[in-house]
Amino acid sequence: MKRATIPALVVVVGVLVLADLLLVNDSLSELAGVAIDAAILVAAGAALAAVASLAVRRARDLWRRRGDPIGAALVLAGMAAMLIAGLRPGAAGATDPAVGWLVAALLIPIGATLFGLLFVTTLAASRRSLASRSREATVLVGAALVVLLMLLPIGGVVGERLSDAAGWALAVPIGAVFRGMLIGVAILAAVFAARTLLGVGATDE
Amino acid sequence: MSERSALAARLAPLLLVGALAAALLAGLDDRLTLESADDGAARAVTAAFDAMPDDALVLVGFDPDVGTYAEIRPTVRAVLADLLNRGATLGLVSLTPDGRALAIAELARMDRSEANPRQLIDLGFLPGAEAALVAVARGINGGSQDPIRADLPSPPDLAVVIGGIDLGARSWVEQVQPRIDGLPIVAIAPTVLLPELEPYRASGQLAALIGTPRDGAAYRAQAELGRLERMVDPAAGPSPAAIIVGLLVAIGVLGQAFGSRLAAVMRAARPRDVA
Repeated sequence: MKRATIPALVVVVGVLVLADLLLVNDSLSELAGVAIDAAILVAAGAALAAVASLAVRRARDLWRRRGDPIGAALVLAGMAAMLIAGLRPGAAGATDPAVGWLVAALLIPIGATLFGLLFVTTLAASRRSLASRSREATVLVGAALVVLLMLLPIGGVVGERLSDAAGWALAVPIGAVFRGMLIGVAILAAVFAARTLLGVGATDE
Repeated sequence: MSERSALAARLAPLLLVGALAAALLAGLDDRLTLESADDGAARAVTAAFDAMPDDALVLVGFDPDVGTYAEIRPTVRAVLADLLNRGATLGLVSLTPDGRALAIAELARMDRSEANPRQLIDLGFLPGAEAALVAVARGINGGSQDPIRADLPSPPDLAVVIGGIDLGARSWVEQVQPRIDGLPIVAIAPTVLLPELEPYRASGQLAALIGTPRDGAAYRAQAELGRLERMVDPAAGPSPAAIIVGLLVAIGVLGQAFGSRLAAVMRAARPRDVA
């Protein structure tokens, strides 16, 4: 039953949204609008459920003293701080200055710091992957090294050549790979959608 | 790992911080500029803004993520100030929680500055990612009683997408552009997204793209912000000295590791050649 319901839903909604994109018809448009609004509501519900699930899981970790109790306490304290700032009596919700302060003074710098740490961890991971004597890792790090050299801000003729080479690398080999990936993803998505619409499963092959 | 290697690994981050501090204290930022010699990206953004009608309505998809926002923040503020200075009305909509949090912070900042509040429309947060983008496009087309359409005085003349890793210009090109004829899209994105977005810029699906700190600096250098110059902190851009130190450190670390690997491969191959 479950196996039949989900593909049927996908088929109906998929055909509806596709038809709405291709045809101008008010009734069709209203129906597609209902489907899209439902998808938005489901997404909102899923986001809330995910946050609630995280809170419950972390509270359980803290209560049973398993996993990372300090991390669990910090997660719960962060959630509580944001909820109190936005939902306390008289607060203006997400636009409350206290929420703004938490975001601007804590959330953004912490996020940027964690992203900045990627510099160190990526270099360390590159060294480790080279030490593993993997051929793919050697090619990957070699390519990274070449790109870094091309991005060096050197003046004069050498700098111009490096800059031109960087532009060429982005436009031609890297651009080609990304175009290929985007086209490949689109084709795969179309094939998967067609298989779902036609009800073709792995057992049918 | 030997004791010496372990100690070096532990000290490496400290040495990096020390090198960055030394570069900044030595005043390298005063002698270096980020502006690219090729200001094509900046000129494309200005051309897209110049092509707008008077009193234009600009839909701003504000979805940067907190990790990469520090890189594009000065350019984003300059773009918003530039559009406001041209008399455009900005409608900010976010489709990610990160983007909404950052949009609120920027709206509060603009409220405190000399921006005319009548030029700012807070369209809020829409969950649902791509589905929400479809709803935005449908709302703009007037196909439903969508709150976005209800809050906008007219269909937008331009879309500016402040993108992040979760959702950005690619989704706008895929979901919004096919549904709204002739809506130009200008994208501001962190460098990490440049390879993904460059094909869309090259094909013309993006009217303009600022995807590197150098392009951002070139745009900020040529943008005329008038009385809204104060909205943009001139010292807030990425530090050129830090970028160069980072590049040199990365080249040094990867070069040393890559050289050691090559040397090991050659050492291993030599006895076989002799045999």
